[in-house]
Amino acid sequence: MTDDPNRLEAIFAAALAKGSPEERAAYLDEVCAGDAELRRRLQALLQAHDDAGSFLEKPAIATGVTTDAPAGQWIDRDAPPAPAEGPGTRIGPYKLLQQIGEGGMGIVYMAEQQEPIRRMVALKVIKAGMDSAQVVARFEAERQALALMDHQNIARIFDGGATESGRPYFVMELVKGIPITRFCDQNRLTPRERLELFVPVCQAVQHAHQKGVIHRDLKPSNVLVTLYDSKPVPKVIDFGVAKALHQKLTERTMFTAFGAVVGTLEYMSPEQAELNALDVDTRSDVYSLGVLLYELLTGATPLDRKRLGQAAYAEVLRLIREEEPPRPSTRLSGSGEALARISAHRKTEPAQLARLVRGELDWIAMKSLEKDRGRRYDTASALARDVEHYLKDEPVEARLPSVSYLLRKFVRRNKGRVIAAGMLAGMLFLVVGLVLYGRLVGGAAVGRAASRASLDRGAQQRCVQGDSRPDRGRSQVSTACRSRRLDRTSRQTDR
Amino acid sequence: MHEVTRLLNAIEQGDPQAAEQLLPLVYGELRRQAARKLAQERPGQTLDATALVHEAYLRLVGDGASGWQSRGHFFAAAAEAMRRILVERARRKKRLKHGGGLRRVPLDGVRAAAGAPSDDLLALDEALAQLAEEDPVKARLVELRFFAGLSVEDAARCLGISRATADRYWAYARAWLYEKVRAGEKSENR
Repeated sequence: MTDDPNRLEAIFAAALAKGSPEERAAYLDEVCAGDAELRRRLQALLQAHDDAGSFLEKPAIATGVTTDAPAGQWIDRDAPPAPAEGPGTRIGPYKLLQQIGEGGMGIVYMAEQQEPIRRMVALKVIKAGMDSAQVVARFEAERQALALMDHQNIARIFDGGATESGRPYFVMELVKGIPITRFCDQNRLTPRERLELFVPVCQAVQHAHQKGVIHRDLKPSNVLVTLYDSKPVPKVIDFGVAKALHQKLTERTMFTAFGAVVGTLEYMSPEQAELNALDVDTRSDVYSLGVLLYELLTGATPLDRKRLGQAAYAEVLRLIREEEPPRPSTRLSGSGEALARISAHRKTEPAQLARLVRGELDWIAMKSLEKDRGRRYDTASALARDVEHYLKDEPVEARLPSVSYLLRKFVRRNKGRVIAAGMLAGMLFLVVGLVLYGRLVGGAAVGRAASRASLDRGAQQRCVQGDSRPDRGRSQVSTACRSRRLDRTSRQTDR
Repeated sequence: MHEVTRLLNAIEQGDPQAAEQLLPLVYGELRRQAARKLAQERPGQTLDATALVHEAYLRLVGDGASGWQSRGHFFAAAAEAMRRILVERARRKKRLKHGGGLRRVPLDGVRAAAGAPSDDLLALDEALAQLAEEDPVKARLVELRFFAGLSVEDAARCLGISRATADRYWAYARAWLYEKVRAGEKSENR
């Protein structure tokens, strides 16, 4: 491919190494055979190499005096230092009032817009010293991403520009709210109420996906709940690490060579936790929504925050990729002392909470959290729909792995025993069949049949009373019972 | 000082947030140093990037950091910070210049007396950004050499590549950038 830089560089180096212009030309002919564009490119580069002279040879600021000083004397002692922003200063028509947030590359201020209308806004500006082209590109991408959206649950963008020193900023709707998890806890929202708040968040994310933007950093602090007419309204903010699906976006941070990961660890999807994840799609946001749902239900993230905090970074990524979290209901049951506080926040009796969550809510959460993104909900709206089904007492799509799936796994694990059990069951049925046949044919067999039937019945009774040890198959009776019981249960649960 | 060492260690472990935190620290330090030097320097003398960066290194890291892994991270941050400082000044100078006349001076060999080094630097900055999109390692190499004043040897160590590879990459990157900058000039002077 003409555009492969490494290939270009390799040919370039080889061409340079040739002794004479003729040799070089011959080499190029050979390598570029037919690819005129490649030839042209290499020719241009080689020419540039010859013409470059001492370009870049001296560092940006040289000691002493040099004849070709690429950037020359850069120090202009008369130039005033760049004014620092802060509360009280102005950027364009906006007067900065108070810093309300700070991220890796930008600072968010609450500001007062004075023209053309007076109102309070949020202004996000790149930090001084961070305005490398890459960061600016990312910042600009965020602004564009926000500008594309038009949804009541996504913070609206109003304006954009650059400061006097050339640093980009943009202005958006000021969302006076608190993170959704904290809001729910403070106001003691029941699980149902939390779900009702969760649905519009999913819909907002769906809207973004339809506009071709993946958020990639969904977490409670990026979903603020504010009150409009005393009704709680969630708003998704901060598309700072969002990725535009259809545009080429340079997202590389300083340390590309060492593998860069964006997103916050606890909410990061397994595919994002692959060090060179370039193939992250909308389902990654679905995962993060799943984490949020999990947290709204149980008060904890699927992967325990403390544990993540203690592990080394590489280990954390591995956990995200591989460790299966407990189901929400299991997590609740295992909360110990914290359960009292957690259920108080959810205005539900501790005993009832796990029971409420067990079943469908478990399934919905776990489906969103599948490591294999092919098994998750396809879209954020699919997730929202299932939650709505639950809220309306309608059937839910998500399922725990089906019993037949579990059975298949069981069989695979215990082939030998299952075959033996199957054979024994087969023999038993055969015997019973023969007995019945005997009864049909002649009464002489009745006595024997009756006694054997009662033996069977006795055996059945013993089964029912409960040999519940799973894999021990000690007596023929118990394995036969087990397979019969499994049959019974699978018939019940297959809907 | 300890903060920077801690960050460097965190970066070694792969923590991306530490990487982001390092730059502002290094940037701040270099800026301070540059300002101090300015206050002291005699008129006409220029400032030495290499010295600035190494001084900052000593000040921020001291003897703490051992191998080239951590040094690499530090110098990468320093180079980027240096670049930012220069570009910021260049932009400001350009804005202050009334009329914004693009008296563009080609980058090689001409005395800086024509007085538009800011344009050169901005052009280089832009070209470098484009190179970084295609080939981050080579762009990083240029940054380390040009903005932090590292030798090819040291830059190679920082990047974890061989000296021979670094030499090759350097030749290529220079040609690439020169071509880009020159093409940019041509289109402007049309």
